[in-house]
Amino acid sequence: MPRLCALCSTQRPILKRPKTGQQICKDCFFYVFETEVHNTILEAKLFQPGDRVAIGASGGKDSTVLAHVMKTLNDRYDYGLELFLLSIDEGITGYRDDSLETVKQNQKEYNLPLKILSYNEFYGWTMDSIVEEVGRRNNCTFCGVFRRQALDRGAAMLGVDHIVTGHNADDVAETVLMNIMRGDIARLGRCTAICTQGEDTIKRSKPFKYTYEKEIVMYAYFKRLTYFSTECIYSPDAYRGHARSFLKMLEAARPSAIIDIIYSGEACEVGEEATKELKERKTCKRCGYIASNDLCKACTLLEGLERGMGNAGITDRGRKQLEASGPTPDGLRTIPFFQMNASTPTDATSSVTTSGQGSGARISPVVDVSAG
Amino acid sequence: MSTSCGNPTVEKDALMPRRRKFDRTKTCIKCKDNQGNVTIRHAVYCKECFFPMLNQKFKRSLEPTINPIPDGPRKKNLYPPGNLLIAFSGGLGSTVLLDLVHKGYVASRKPREDADAAVRKKDPKNEMVWKEVHVCYVEVCGAFPAMRDRTEDVRRVVESYDGFKFVPLRVEDSFDTKWWESVGGKPDKGELRVDITNEDLILLPSSNATSPLSALHTYLSSLPAPTAIPTTLQTLTRLLLLHTARATSSSHFLFGTCLTSLSVSLVSLVAQGGGFNIKEEVQEDWGGEGGRQAVRIVRPLKDIVMKECAMYAWWRGLEVVGQEVWPDARQGIGGITKDFIVGLEKDYPSTVSTITRTCAKLAPKETPAGICTLCNRPAQGHVQDWKTRISIRSLSPSLASPQQPSLAPYLCYMCHTTLTSKSSKKPSSGSSSAGGEEGNEVPLPLWVGARVRRMEREEMRDKVKEFLLDKEEEEEGYAEPI
Ligand code: SF4
Ligand SMILES: [Zn+2]
Ligand SMILES: [Zn+2]
Ligand SMILES: [Zn+2]
Ligand SMILES: [Zn+2]
Repeated sequence: MPRLCALCSTQRPILKRPKTGQQICKDCFFYVFETEVHNTILEAKLFQPGDRVAIGASGGKDSTVLAHVMKTLNDRYDYGLELFLLSIDEGITGYRDDSLETVKQNQKEYNLPLKILSYNEFYGWTMDSIVEEVGRRNNCTFCGVFRRQALDRGAAMLGVDHIVTGHNADDVAETVLMNIMRGDIARLGRCTAICTQGEDTIKRSKPFKYTYEKEIVMYAYFKRLTYFSTECIYSPDAYRGHARSFLKMLEAARPSAIIDIIYSGEACEVGEEATKELKERKTCKRCGYIASNDLCKACTLLEGLERGMGNAGITDRGRKQLEASGPTPDGLRTIPFFQMNASTPTDATSSVTTSGQGSGARISPVVDVSAG
Repeated sequence: MSTSCGNPTVEKDALMPRRRKFDRTKTCIKCKDNQGNVTIRHAVYCKECFFPMLNQKFKRSLEPTINPIPDGPRKKNLYPPGNLLIAFSGGLGSTVLLDLVHKGYVASRKPREDADAAVRKKDPKNEMVWKEVHVCYVEVCGAFPAMRDRTEDVRRVVESYDGFKFVPLRVEDSFDTKWWESVGGKPDKGELRVDITNEDLILLPSSNATSPLSALHTYLSSLPAPTAIPTTLQTLTRLLLLHTARATSSSHFLFGTCLTSLSVSLVSLVAQGGGFNIKEEVQEDWGGEGGRQAVRIVRPLKDIVMKECAMYAWWRGLEVVGQEVWPDARQGIGGITKDFIVGLEKDYPSTVSTITRTCAKLAPKETPAGICTLCNRPAQGHVQDWKTRISIRSLSPSLASPQQPSLAPYLCYMCHTTLTSKSSKKPSSGSSSAGGEEGNEVPLPLWVGARVRRMEREEMRDKVKEFLLDKEEEEEGYAEPI
């Protein structure tokens, strides 16, 4: 007797589920994949009907599948969400320019409005020019800080309430491990949280928090979704690579390891004593974004770049050197001032275009302080 | 993720502290006189200064845990409420521990007097801190076909010290009613079996008895993945030791876990879903329910790195007789973690201390829902609900009828996972496999049955309590050791 699908017991199984090891059929795979994401969304009460939600879209597998699943679930379960695609152009020749083509294709397939924001437009620097300036050692720190802020600003421009990103279970588990090994207490709690909302940043969440990377690839494969799979030419951070290979070994020994690590991360929090050590949040004096010092991380990094001291935002020593080298000179390029939801567009949908230069952008590109 | 690069938004320095230059000053950092003999985390020590330095680290982590209520900064006399049990595996850490305890608290001390601790004023330095010191060894060779029994080697080491009482055990004692009775348990009616093919872990009454060794074999061979074997042996060993600690009236129970092994076991705990028990992995009080004397588990070598242990053992001429690594342990989560951490430590020497420091700042998010019947650690509830929401394994709601008694609700996440999470290699039997067949029934360690029965009785009594006239109802046969 031929084996039957472990779930429906009627069809022939065609895959072994990475997460559970069960042999199941294609239909059941789609069902469990989508339903688990739906469960995650329901359990965390992520959305309210009428919410405007931006999907952080990079053209990679995670965000491509996320866009597909969000649209599917929104229709199937009547979430009542207004969905947008939000992309960041880091300015990496041969990588992001190509992957953005994929995003544009997704936009047509899913018929969702797309907004593209570029580092160049916000910060006056592309990743190409940053790498030229600081070399290959800390480029990902710049990129991560700039991306986070750009996404928040992009979301404010679109007038959305919420950004969903394609971070999957492997990413979350890896971050838990890495934070324990690096002693990054502040982030340990946040990285397993499904939804994080600071005082005045936009809500961000990870509907794929419990979704295995392998299953995302499988889903894209069976649904024939097109995505861009090339690695960034400036990756990777070696240490992160270590944690990833460790996680892969654990997963190979026992597939539940990824979920088990997330469970561990959810089970504990930073004790009271350690919380006191964490700096309270302030607002950046220069750009209005959340910060733990007078200047936010992005402004510090940007000033360092502008003044030829790339290390300023990387190490404490670098920051002190920057401060010691005198006050900020006039005429320095800075990030436009950030006001959360100051100008929710009345009809953003129509004003958003695929060019990233659309009229929906209420914050003008880089301003020259000296011009004022 | 927001890009396909694998980098979620980076906020902090993405790099680890880099390896500092080797300290080239060759004189001892303590006496600044002698030539250095050893470099411990960038500091050079001579042989004479090394021993006091190590001994101080040992006492600094042990002594604040000895009195039931910590004395605060000013050190008072040490009055443990019970005896001492040392877990001895014959490995490097516990070999060093045995020697340090003997030198520090047993050798050249008078037997301890019985006077009430609170009224004594004498200098405790002349008296033994604990009245009795037991050293317990759990032989695991029963779990592995070709493994040599080392009990006699271990006995030789323990008996080379005066003042220690040797307690040899075997891991299969977990299934041995004679052992269970010897630590005060009442085995009748307590024995249970479990159907391990089903996530619900349906409980069945014990059928005909088998020998403890074959019970152990059935248990181990029924585990769903090879990774579960080292974890299981660790849990069995720990519980055997804990019950021995109670049976020997010990208030303190020491493990020879050094900083390096502690950071490995913390990461491995996290990797197995045990994040809720991070605190207990460092120090825990066990078995204090119902007004009983709790046993405090302490790891006094937790600030000493493996290299220091090795130097100590070498200079003191200590014999390390135990088997450091179990066969197949490298395939376990602990083994994979150890390889990884030890490798990482070579490039980033602060890794192990960073891990323990980070973990020390973490606290469980919820108050425990209960105590896991298998590992006896505090546990969160609703493990199965969480798992079915995260991974759908069946299209219909759980097949198990609520009437059937099941072990799953009495387990912590980690123990439930150890008993149910399959390896990618073993073919999945799927949900179609029939449960409850003969051969799927697995005997349980004796403390599990005793505790499950007790909890079942408590739940039943809870339901009918309004109708009970007597406040105290006779509890027969389900008791755990008192
Ligand atoms: S690898 Fe680094 S530089 Fe490339 S996109 Fe990711 S964060 Fe940016
Ligand atoms: Zn099916
Ligand atoms: Zn700023
Ligand atoms: Zn010296
Ligand atoms: Zn347990």
